[in-house]
Amino acid sequence: MLTCKQLVACSSDYLDGQLTLGERLMTRQHLLFCRNCRRFIKQLRLAQATLKALPPAPVEGAEALAARLAAERRATR
Amino acid sequence: MTADEQRLLDRLLAGEQRAFAELVQTCQGAMRAVAYAIVGERGADEVVQDAWLAAVRGLAGFQRRSSLKTWLLTITANTAKTRYRQDRREVLLDDLPAPHGSIDDARFASDGHWLLAPSAWHEDSPEALLSQEQLRECLEHTLLSLSQLQSSVLLLRERQGLELVEICNLLDLSLSNVRVLLHRARLKVFATLEHFEDTGQC
Ligand SMILES: [Zn+2]
Repeated sequence: MLTCKQLVACSSDYLDGQLTLGERLMTRQHLLFCRNCRRFIKQLRLAQATLKALPPAPVEGAEALAARLAAERRATR
Repeated sequence: MTADEQRLLDRLLAGEQRAFAELVQTCQGAMRAVAYAIVGERGADEVVQDAWLAAVRGLAGFQRRSSLKTWLLTITANTAKTRYRQDRREVLLDDLPAPHGSIDDARFASDGHWLLAPSAWHEDSPEALLSQEQLRECLEHTLLSLSQLQSSVLLLRERQGLELVEICNLLDLSLSNVRVLLHRARLKVFATLEHFEDTGQC
């Protein structure tokens, strides 16, 4: 049986599908019985989704760059 | 390559500025992250510029097997590597302290059970969390505290959706290193969100 500490240690690998079948089963079994770790995984997923939802930093000088690249492309055609 | 990408590529080949603007919007962030991971803050912007020019010059020879983004990231990584190959053995081990720590040994009893279990967060959607301006700032602050490679790997995985193996190839890192970098970075982000949800402040 995994401890909570071990579960946390392999939590990223669990989310990324990097565990072996055996490890995955042990993780699932632990989650079945451990409310704290279920909450941890749920919130780790939420943290992932939150990072993803952060508004992107505006690209500085995007238009000027696009203009330069388009001109470059037309010149090399 | 998707049908949308095929159309975009045709417009790029025709030299349409609007198409380049779209490509810059969708790929610049990931390109910057790859460049930053390899050469660091100084030089990253120049690498990205050079990579764009190299890409445009090679556009006609682009094989439609991969996605445009994958292709651009490969060019960026190659540009960065020829320019400046840093000795990253030490950098790799850098695990800088984060503003709100991590989920570390102190959270567990000696038998491996939670000593201080994760608290329930008030919000359960990214939108609700991010609607709090202070939390957004707090999160940015934590991201800035991460080491060069931790933040790059986190960004490429969580925000750009790259596969772990793609990250390994682009950055010349082993899979186990990428996994460690990603895990450490995620736990720091977790700790920041947890701290904010617990205290209401950064
Ligand atoms: Zn547990």
